Order: sequence, then C-alpha cells, then structure tokens
Amino acid sequence: MNAPDRFELFVLPDGVKKLTITPDTKIPNAATFKIEKEDHTLANMLRMQLLEDPKVLFAGYKMPHPLDHYFILKVQTTPDTNPAHVLGNAVTELIQTVGSMKNKFEMDLIRARSDASKVDNGEGEDLSSHQVDMDF
Amino acid sequence: MVPEKKNFSHNDLDTLRSRVIVERDRVTSTASTDFPHNYPGQDLAWDFEKFKESFKLKINKLSKTEMEFDMIGIDAAVANAFRRILIAEVPTMAVSNVFIMNNTSIVVDEVLAHRLGLVPILADPTKFDFKGKEETPTDLNTIVFKLQVTCRRNPNAAEGETDPLKKYIHANVYSGDMKWSPQGDQAERFKECPIKPVFDDIVVTKLRPGQEVDIEIHCEKGLGQDHAKWSPVATASYRLMPEILINGEITGEAAVRFQKCFPEGVVDVVKENGVKKAVVVNPRKDTVSREVLRHAEFENKVKLTRVRDHFIFSIESVGAIEPQDLFVQAVKVLMDKTGTVKRSLQSTLQAE
Repeated sequence: MNAPDRFELFVLPDGVKKLTITPDTKIPNAATFKIEKEDHTLANMLRMQLLEDPKVLFAGYKMPHPLDHYFILKVQTTPDTNPAHVLGNAVTELIQTVGSMKNKFEMDLIRARSDASKVDNGEGEDLSSHQVDMDF
Repeated sequence: MVPEKKNFSHNDLDTLRSRVIVERDRVTSTASTDFPHNYPGQDLAWDFEKFKESFKLKINKLSKTEMEFDMIGIDAAVANAFRRILIAEVPTMAVSNVFIMNNTSIVVDEVLAHRLGLVPILADPTKFDFKGKEETPTDLNTIVFKLQVTCRRNPNAAEGETDPLKKYIHANVYSGDMKWSPQGDQAERFKECPIKPVFDDIVVTKLRPGQEVDIEIHCEKGLGQDHAKWSPVATASYRLMPEILINGEITGEAAVRFQKCFPEGVVDVVKENGVKKAVVVNPRKDTVSREVLRHAEFENKVKLTRVRDHFIFSIESVGAIEPQDLFVQAVKVLMDKTGTVKRSLQSTLQAE
C-alpha cells in the first residue's frame, strides 16, 4: 500500500527543526515562521492571539498543502518590537489563558459535583435549571 | 469582553463586534473582529487581568459519559482548538495488533480485526507509554487480551428451539469475552481498576456449533489523529448562545403565533393588563430554525443573533475517560503544544 504513514502528522523527524524564522527581505519588522508537525489547532490560535496585540500590524497563517504537515505564520509588527518577540508574548499569553481556564473549570467541577451528589441516579443530573450567573 | 444585553435598535458597531447576525437567507457578521485598531475608541488589546475578569465557565450537565458547559469570553480559535484536541489529540488505549491463531467464524479475519479495533478499552492511558514503530512490546506500552471462544450445542435447549442464543452456547462472541492477560507487574499496577473493554455487550462475531475463534489482542497507546479508534470522544462540539430580540411588543393573538415559531420553553405568553404579550424566557433552548423570519407579520419585529463569545460546549465520552478528565487532559495537551513553540522559539533565537 502506498498510503503515507499516519504518524507523519505529529512525529518530528530527526534533524528537522520545530520552528524556523525567515525575516522578510522587503518589508521592515516582518518575518515568516514555519512550524513543523502542527495544524489549524495551533495556527489559528496563534494568529488570533497575535492579532490581539496592538503592536502587531499583520498576522496570518496558511497550511500550504494538506499533505505537508506544517504551517507558515506571517507576522509584521511596529518598529519598536520584532516578530519573534511578539510571538513569544503571544505564546506566553495563550498559556496563561488556558491555565486560568483550567482553574475555573476545576473550580466549577467541584461545585457541579457537590450539587450532583445530592441526586445521584447515574443518569447525570440536569443542572441547567441553575441559571448561568450572567447577563447577556 | 462579555457583551451587554442588546436592544433591538442597536445595529451598531458593537453588535457587529459581539454578535453573529442570523437573517432570513444568510448569516452575517460571522468572523471575529475583536482586535486592536478595529474599533475607534475601544482598547481591545489582550490583557490577562481583563481576561480573568470576563471569562466565565459553568457546568450545566455532568454524568459518567456526557457533560455540557458554558464557556464565555474567549475567541472561537481557542474553543475550536479544544474541540479539535478532544477529538484527535488526547491519547487513549486501543487495539492495534490482532494475532489470529484460529478463526472459523463467518466473519473474515481482516473484518474481525477491524471490529476488535473499534472496541473501546477501559484503561488509564497516562499509565502507559507510546510504543515506537521499532520498539518491542513491554508491559509499559502494551495490554494483552485473549479471545478464545468455541460454540457448541446447548444440551438443555428445548426441542424445536429456534433462537440461536438458546439453542447454542456462545452463539455470539461479545467484547466481554476478551480476557485480559496481565503482563509483568500489570496485575499489581491495575488491581484497583482491572483492564477490560468499556462495554461487555458489543457483538464481535457470531458462531455456530464447531466454529471457534482463538485470538491474541495487543492494545497500544495512540492518538485520534492516527486512527479514529484512538479518539476518546464520540463527539465533542460547541454551539453559540442564541439570542432573540423583539422590537417593541408583540401582543394579542400574534403573541401566541410568535410563541409557536420557537421550540417549547423559548418564548412565554404572559398577560399584562389583560393583554397577551410574548416574552423571551429561555433562548438557550432555541434551535435557530429561523421559522419566525418566514412570517410577514413579524418582519422588522424580531431579530435573531448569536453571542459570538458564548460557547455551549458538549463532550460525549466513549467511556474510557470521564468527560471532566478529558477536558483537563485537553488543556494539558494545549499547554504542551504552546510550550513546544515557546521553547523552540527561544532555542532558534539563541542559535542565531
């Protein structure tokens, strides 16, 4: 069979760098990052986080081909910083975001468990009667 | 970043920023534009304190296999990353090698092996290592099951019995017939929760007297990206919170007709000074069928939108890992992913 090995999706081969930076030769403060063995999951998140930085003038990503398991990320920044630095910030911010999500999730899990322990029928309790405490 | 409650007349920038607008024949304002420089006078730069303030998470339903929770105040990119990771990147254990010593059943070897592959295995994947392609199986990366079943006539069956399950013994081979054979110190390590298939009543194949299967099954740790049998969820999905805005008031018999455009429980008809009036009580239950937009009498009286950063997330586990643990594991996978980028960025910068 000539199907490509599925592990090519996520196993980084020897001698291949996870991340490479190519500075743009024509545009100031711009660079292209190539990130190996990652897909839309990470790429779209990074793009979004970069765009939330006021110092980022442009951020976009693409997966050049569905059979190549890498994506490229193009970033342009204001003159007082550089693309590598803002990407570093974006990643740190993402880790913070996700970490705080995990904390909130675990807190609410404790609450949901203590609510559910009152009625344990194995079917799972419907907690939706408790209104979400927010206005929208 | 949690948006204020909108009133109908607001068709301003803020609505476009925070709502997906559902029209009769199209859906507009779909892309997120919550970025600095996009809106005059608004500072939308990312700030951790602001995020912690506005982010809300609330579990609505929780059972052994399913959960539903609300996630408010994040971008679709993050919610989607979780969905993708839950489906494809949280590791589980699944059958990867099937050694068939004997199979005289009606199901051919390769189909039987495929069916066994899809049986979910109840084992904690964090207690196992990934097995490399060249690595030999050890008790740290492989679970072994034996499936040895022979069918014969049931001597106690009534004469003229036609039900094969009563007429024969072992007419069906079930996933529960897979017997775990502990390797090395596995019996000791897993004595708290012995390894077995999640469900004992999955029919693997059918037998008739004289037929038998004699199979050794090896399970390995893997990712859903590799093959769907390693996916820990039956489905993980999210939808955006629906919102129904009424312009002015809908009264009288029109209120009843208005109520009928929505699923039960979404709109209530209340009596105010003896006049019937339609009130939106629980937009969460709305399917956004857009039925109401088909009626000329409600034109310009109702607007359907969805809150762009309010995700109703649902996880349906296959049963091997409980849904609340799945989410925590997905968070860890996501942190590892971003951590790898951070480290390789630093090492690349140092090398230059």
